[in-house]
Amino acid sequence: MFYVLPRFNYYRPNSLDEVLKLINELENYKILAGGTDLLIDMRIKRYTPRNIVDINRINELQYIREDNEYIRIGSLTRLQDIIESNIIREKLPLLYNAVYNMASWQIRNRATIGGNLCNASPAADTAPPLMVYNAKLVVSSINGSREISILDFFKGPRETDLRNNELLVEIKIPKPHIHGYSYRKIGRRNAFTLSIVAIATYVEIENNIFRDVRIALNSVAPKPVRAWSVEEYLKNKRIDREEIYKASELVVKDISPISDVRASADYRRKLSIILIRETLFEASKITG
Amino acid sequence: MSIEDPYELLSKWFEAKEYLVVGKSVTRSDSIEKAIGKARFLEDYYEPGRMLFVKQLLSTEPHAIIESIDYSDALKLTNIVGVFTAKNIPGINNVGYALPDQPLLAEGKVRYHGEPIALIASWDIDDAFKALEMIRVKYKRLTPIYDPLEAMERKDILIHDEQGSNIAFTTKVRKGDIERGFSESSTIVKNTYKTHHQEHAYLETEAALAIPDIQGRINIISCAQYPHLAQRIVSKVLGIPASNIRIITPYIGGAFGGKDDEGPLVAAKAALVAYLTGKPAFLIYSREESIRIHPKREATIIEYTSGVDDNGYLKAIKVKIIHDTGAYTNRGPYILWRATMHSSGPYYVPNAWVDGYCVYTNKVPQGSFRGFGNPSIQFAVESQMDELAKKLGIDPIELRLKNLLRPGMDTITGQKLDHSVGVADLVDKLARKMEWSKVRRELEDWNKRSNRYKRGLGIGVAWHGISTSRGVPDWSNAYIKIERDGSVNVYTGIVEIGQGTPTTSYRQIVAEALGAPLEYINVVFGTTDAPDTGATHASRGTSIGAIGVLVAAAKIRERLNRLASDILKTNPENIVIRNGRVFDKISNREIRWEELIQEAYNRGVEVSATGYFYLPKGKFDDKIGQGFAYPAYSFVAVAVLVEIDTWTGKVRVLKAWPGLAAGKIINPTQVEGQIEGAIAQGIGYVLYEKLEFGSKGEILNADLTDYVIPTIQDVTLDVEKPVYVEDKYKYGPFGAKGVGEMAFIPLPAAIANAVSHALNKRVTTLPLTPENVLKLIGGL
Ligand SMILES: Cc1cc2nc3c(=O)[nH]c(=O)nc-3n(C[C@H](O)[C@H](O)[C@H](O)COP(=O)(O)OP(=O)(O)OC[C@H]3O[C@@H](n4cnc5c(N)ncnc54)[C@H](O)[C@@H]3O)c2cc1C
Repeated sequence: MFYVLPRFNYYRPNSLDEVLKLINELENYKILAGGTDLLIDMRIKRYTPRNIVDINRINELQYIREDNEYIRIGSLTRLQDIIESNIIREKLPLLYNAVYNMASWQIRNRATIGGNLCNASPAADTAPPLMVYNAKLVVSSINGSREISILDFFKGPRETDLRNNELLVEIKIPKPHIHGYSYRKIGRRNAFTLSIVAIATYVEIENNIFRDVRIALNSVAPKPVRAWSVEEYLKNKRIDREEIYKASELVVKDISPISDVRASADYRRKLSIILIRETLFEASKITG
Repeated sequence: MSIEDPYELLSKWFEAKEYLVVGKSVTRSDSIEKAIGKARFLEDYYEPGRMLFVKQLLSTEPHAIIESIDYSDALKLTNIVGVFTAKNIPGINNVGYALPDQPLLAEGKVRYHGEPIALIASWDIDDAFKALEMIRVKYKRLTPIYDPLEAMERKDILIHDEQGSNIAFTTKVRKGDIERGFSESSTIVKNTYKTHHQEHAYLETEAALAIPDIQGRINIISCAQYPHLAQRIVSKVLGIPASNIRIITPYIGGAFGGKDDEGPLVAAKAALVAYLTGKPAFLIYSREESIRIHPKREATIIEYTSGVDDNGYLKAIKVKIIHDTGAYTNRGPYILWRATMHSSGPYYVPNAWVDGYCVYTNKVPQGSFRGFGNPSIQFAVESQMDELAKKLGIDPIELRLKNLLRPGMDTITGQKLDHSVGVADLVDKLARKMEWSKVRRELEDWNKRSNRYKRGLGIGVAWHGISTSRGVPDWSNAYIKIERDGSVNVYTGIVEIGQGTPTTSYRQIVAEALGAPLEYINVVFGTTDAPDTGATHASRGTSIGAIGVLVAAAKIRERLNRLASDILKTNPENIVIRNGRVFDKISNREIRWEELIQEAYNRGVEVSATGYFYLPKGKFDDKIGQGFAYPAYSFVAVAVLVEIDTWTGKVRVLKAWPGLAAGKIINPTQVEGQIEGAIAQGIGYVLYEKLEFGSKGEILNADLTDYVIPTIQDVTLDVEKPVYVEDKYKYGPFGAKGVGEMAFIPLPAAIANAVSHALNKRVTTLPLTPENVLKLIGGL
């Protein structure tokens, strides 16, 4: 196909230090990771950056590691590598499920987890699982590094807490306790589609009581959100069908969906309730 | 003298009792090339920098007077060779197929957001895109109309002033006396149905490459579904004789009717640039341009009343069909004709009153798409049948079997169908084979036990007239020559758009009639070097297109039989030619095919022939709304099993049982491919696809991110082996009728009926997206 991109200067640094130096100096730049969001956005002229900083040579940002406390994922790690990792499949099943349902094999081989987060689409599919795992994002600049809770990272559609000279380098996930979980993504078709709603549900259960409940959804607000009202309502309650029904209705307080070509706000609200119910049943292993 | 009369030849081969290759699942000759990526499509012929790249400037207004177009700045770019508008067209700027209402490039006025206004010719792509941004069009806005019902009423806003009304075209059928029919009816059902646009979403978007040659001709590599029509349109636009225009088509990456409408226009635009500049010119539509510009499946509103008597016999129908034809009629009148003629469904209806309206609005035009006006009307008909059955308390299949057309009956246009009417057999056979009643009963039990999920079984039965509607002339032709070495070249205007007609059935038919080995047959397709064969549309590629192929081959065969009988000293009737062996069945004396052909060249027997055949038709009288509609009908029935998630509103099609009465099946694998493809496309149309229009009538989802077509994961259903009733048609090649569009046609009806069955609520509006299903249930 024949399309043109706006003109730009192209930089391809060889080390993380070089990247950090470059982005400290450059104005009006964009980081290029997999490019599966950026190139399309440039084609439709959502962004017309004067400078492009390609980070694909920074191999040190591609890894999945596990230590005593954390599972660490380098920001340039490809989505396909995430679903092929035993660590992720065994320890972070919600992330595995979410990435498994993203895009296609071809796209997943380019697309990175850092790109998905920094793009900050309300429909970003890695967000809900990382939000229920309370992930931390490590960002670096020439001045050093800092950590941002993923719960504070998204500011609105395509807006993040990143400062102009900062790069996302690592996603750091506290190793979860034993938990029940359930993931659902509803798109307009069964595969290769953007979410109308995706939901990650995490529960810790003790003696038939919800000790911890964490639920996150995307595409139902300007940014991915936690269903705080539902969580609060259920915490320390017995597992009970009626309670789950009641709790799920509370999600409407946590979300603010819009109507667009993908779905109406009403449908998104309805789906959110249904999916919370359904995933809670599944996560706590009771039948609806 | 050998027999050369096409009627005699056709009937001789029609009587065949045994076949060598016809009816067998012969492999396509293009399959390997396509599988390994060697097959060339249009874009593969583009050489950047060595040909002009053409970019289109499209309207950003739905309805406006063009006051000026200023491209002076664009011309200053180094690589820009020219910017061309309506005023540069040397011939006639009018490309309307049915009515002369459509310019190639907007002239004076634009009528939809996305209408082409100018062509930019550039040596490089970057400058073409830059130029696009530099052209200033000054518009004077006019009030747009998007709703066809409003457009019908308004006289103050006219989309085409010269028409004096926004109703572009009307049709009618009148039969018997509907007042009497309804008074004899004990059960009457009345509903209004709505169907939506569909985008073709072919893998390959529209393109053309026009190359001026040394003989002053223009050669166009084109994606048109009808090369000779593209030739005619180019000739008209350029004002040069058709003989100076040569069209060839490479493999085409899907068309479904969309390139029947748009293909010739793409060719004309590329040709215009090549003609004006003297340089080769390449035009390709981006996905967004393709979706914005080319015509779509009809969006309709259908009011339908039907009545049956106590015994379940249809007594009368009254139907009003409204087609939103968008900014131009394009093929809208033909589409409306087809809908009107088919508005009874394949049933005997003694009294009918049908009115059709083709209405302008300021939206993308309506056009050809698999089924051509028929899927929407069959959706209405078949929904009515299910509602009638429900009210009568009888099984939907039983009601259909009572009313289906049988040989000797007449249609709503008063045309008697004397043969090739296998629909009643088909429905009966399908229902038995799939155990309709048992499956339906089991489902109803299943639903009693299931709370969240509900299942339903529905059927759609449909008919589809073969060839053009009414008395519009239709013919077939082909040119065949046998080379000295015995290999055979077949020239046809039929194109290869993925369906495999030239690469399977044509080779089979020629090999069958000549007796030459299948691998000796080469088909040169999609070119104006062949005689005018008509279009590759209307399920006519094999059914009509191959009549010419058979006639030409049969003529040569008669000559070869005589020659062989001379050589082998026997009667021509005793000659058998089978897979390259030529022998006398009495004496068993034998020569090889190559020897026979060598002898033909030596003894002066012509081994080339054309196969012209003019399809006999009758007349339709517009005034009385009665007469001849089609030479024959193909029939189809598809039953589907669906499951609905009543929480999310999601519908899944779990299984489909297709059946076809399309005369002789020439290649079962190819037919199954068409059926499965149509089912996937139908599921897409009914469950997923929908164009969204913005406040300027612009298409909001003009890309494949938001125009959602099904993936393989969405068509995981089981498709049963089709049931065939080979109700042969006397003029079809070996009795074949059309197949390509068939399985799509009843699919909206079948799915809607299955969903209605599952939910016990009548579906009247498509698509059945989860949201719409929840609304139907009352859950939203
Ligand atoms: C066909 C298709 C299907 C898709 N399906 C899905 C889907 O199902 N779900 C989904 O969520 N997304 C989907 N996407 C979107 C996209 O693939 C993902 O968001 C992907 O993860 C983006 O990663 P990337 O590496 O390609 O990002 P890029 O396009 O390279 O970058 C995205 C943005 O993040 C910035 N950025 C990237 N890395 C960093 C960093 N380390 N630090 C700071 N800023 C950075 C870039 O500057 C840019 O603004 C799809 C895209 C396509 C084309």
